[in-house]
Amino acid sequence: MAATVKVMRRPAAGTTSYLRSAIKGMGLTFKHMINPDKATHQYPEEPVELSPRWRGTHVMEVHADGRPKCVACGLCPTVCPANCIRLVGGEDDQGNRYPIVYEIDEFRCIFCGMCQEVCPVEAIHVGQHFENAEYTRERFVYDLDRLMEQDHESTLLWDPSDPRSE
Amino acid sequence: MADSGTKTERVTLTIDGREVSVEKGTTILEAAEALGNRIPHYCYHPGLSAPAQCRLCLVEVEGAPKLQASCITTAQDGQVVHTQSDDALRQRKGVLEFYLANHPLDCPICDQSGECKLQDYVFAEGRKHGRNREPKRVFGRDDFGGDILFYGDRCVMCTRCVRFMNEAAQDPLLTVVERGNRSVIDTFFDEGLEGSPYAGNIVDICPVGALVSKDFLHKARAWDLDHTPSICPNCSQGCNIDLHTRDNRVHRLKPRPNLDVNQYWMCDYGRHRYDWMNRTDRLEAPMIEREDSRVATGWAEALEALTARLEEVGDRPVRAIASPFSSNEELAALRLLVNALGGGEIHFRSPRTDEEIPLPSFPKLTRRKDLAPNVKGAEFLGMARVGDDDATGGLEGLEGFDGILLVVGDALPDCAPDFGSDAALHIHLGSYTSRATEAAHFRLPIATHAEQEGTFTNFEGRVQRFWPGLEAPGAARPGWLVLAALAAHLEGTAVPQRAEEMFLKAGELTPHFQGITYQDLGTRGALANEPVALPGA
Repeated sequence: MAATVKVMRRPAAGTTSYLRSAIKGMGLTFKHMINPDKATHQYPEEPVELSPRWRGTHVMEVHADGRPKCVACGLCPTVCPANCIRLVGGEDDQGNRYPIVYEIDEFRCIFCGMCQEVCPVEAIHVGQHFENAEYTRERFVYDLDRLMEQDHESTLLWDPSDPRSE
Repeated sequence: MADSGTKTERVTLTIDGREVSVEKGTTILEAAEALGNRIPHYCYHPGLSAPAQCRLCLVEVEGAPKLQASCITTAQDGQVVHTQSDDALRQRKGVLEFYLANHPLDCPICDQSGECKLQDYVFAEGRKHGRNREPKRVFGRDDFGGDILFYGDRCVMCTRCVRFMNEAAQDPLLTVVERGNRSVIDTFFDEGLEGSPYAGNIVDICPVGALVSKDFLHKARAWDLDHTPSICPNCSQGCNIDLHTRDNRVHRLKPRPNLDVNQYWMCDYGRHRYDWMNRTDRLEAPMIEREDSRVATGWAEALEALTARLEEVGDRPVRAIASPFSSNEELAALRLLVNALGGGEIHFRSPRTDEEIPLPSFPKLTRRKDLAPNVKGAEFLGMARVGDDDATGGLEGLEGFDGILLVVGDALPDCAPDFGSDAALHIHLGSYTSRATEAAHFRLPIATHAEQEGTFTNFEGRVQRFWPGLEAPGAARPGWLVLAALAAHLEGTAVPQRAEEMFLKAGELTPHFQGITYQDLGTRGALANEPVALPGA
């Protein structure tokens, strides 16, 4: 289809006033200043409330004595569709299987939450967190210590009062 | 096994509606396996006796008053067997529930997870949820000595390990102690499996994670490992093995059944010697002579420079050192190249011990005296063994040698850094860096046996294929390809493109390999020809 151009004719000087539109616009602005139902969220002064099922950066749960709950079973790197988890298992001095290396590349992660879903010991969780700014790219590979330090809430993969979504 | 002279009687039976004809004396379980119908079982193992105690292989046989253990019921003519009938399935479901009564279900930390028969069978046929509310009995973990760890809780009491030690190793070091649900496998007091040369096999035959290898403990998950059929390179027995690899590293060796060579087993000596396949001190780029130094370059440039040097050096005596760790293809290519250069002696050095370690139930399976996989192949190709039993020495005759010196596969660990300095041209093809080869005029990187396709000839002349399980580092290429390319250049012939073509060329060099193709070898190997002595010769 051939493009057509509608030519708008500029009004002749002095035949129109913009004052009415300007006042109308300012009126709307002042109305919003005093409107109690305003939608603007005062982030970051006011924290954002996230859904309990928000899937953000990971949290590794720890035992009371500070050990990670992870038993290095290898299910999360197996199920991870983005291949972002690196795990090397080993045995500690009490004969428990534990992760010698546990790294998650948060840049590769697609936050699907399958690692949390598959974990047999409820160790790795995705979290209700989104403020992840860093100064270097390397800092986005979270190692085991960093994952254990994360103190934000972990995600609920389902509503506990309605686990089958009925 | 039936006598080859007598005609074997066959019986025909029906299993799950399909007719199958088997030799008389075959069990129902084996007949079903011939149909591809695997009846679940724990205590039965083809290499051991069948006590029919796991009660998992029970099937319905028409006319029999109750379910029959298929691992000891011989197939009869006209028998009608149902492995999936309601009765059989209900029975298996019940038996599996009993197995789980005391099983800790610690799959996340169990090394067998992913290749565990209890996991497989329960997933396929077991109950979705356990009904047992009693506390489980707990044994904990026991060190059986050697490479073996025992987790008593996971055991299903199939007694394969006890029977292996009694029947195959004939060294009864394991037994069942206690009775009922307290029964557990144990060693005798302080005596362990330490020093028992075939004990590692009980880890392979354990259907669950009760017996695990200390060497492999927590190293990798079973489902992460790639399996590549290969040949054990640690002695001239040539046991069929699988390389279990992950991230371009070998993590363990497992035996691959071959009734003619190693049945279902392999020795611990071979099993634990795989670290060298993961060595990182590798030659990665062709190094060529440039004035006084050696520089890394690409293959095209290296081979061009090498052929130019060969022409420049002209007709000179040729001596070569081969390695019994090289494949038949590599040795044949070396023979081709030496012949193309005018012929010369090829020697090899190989490690050897005085001790043989046979498996008592099958003495043909022995850790042989020759601790290299392809001594026979080298001999077939007219190479002579020199040096001592630790694969050193024997090269004194090369001092002051001023011809063309070819070293393939032998890293010369015992030689001085000026080895071969008198030679007009010193060419080294190797996988590893070493002091004695740094002065070579040409140093070309080649792949190890784990990184290429090829064949080995074992002690009895059986030629067996192996496949590449790892990727060769850097620019390393199969040795036969490099040697054959040089020989083809000198002779003006075509370069063989595949290991198979190179093996056919080997058949032209020696009557032992004549007329044998990779197809003849298959996955089980075939005996090389015994050359017939010509009358009057």
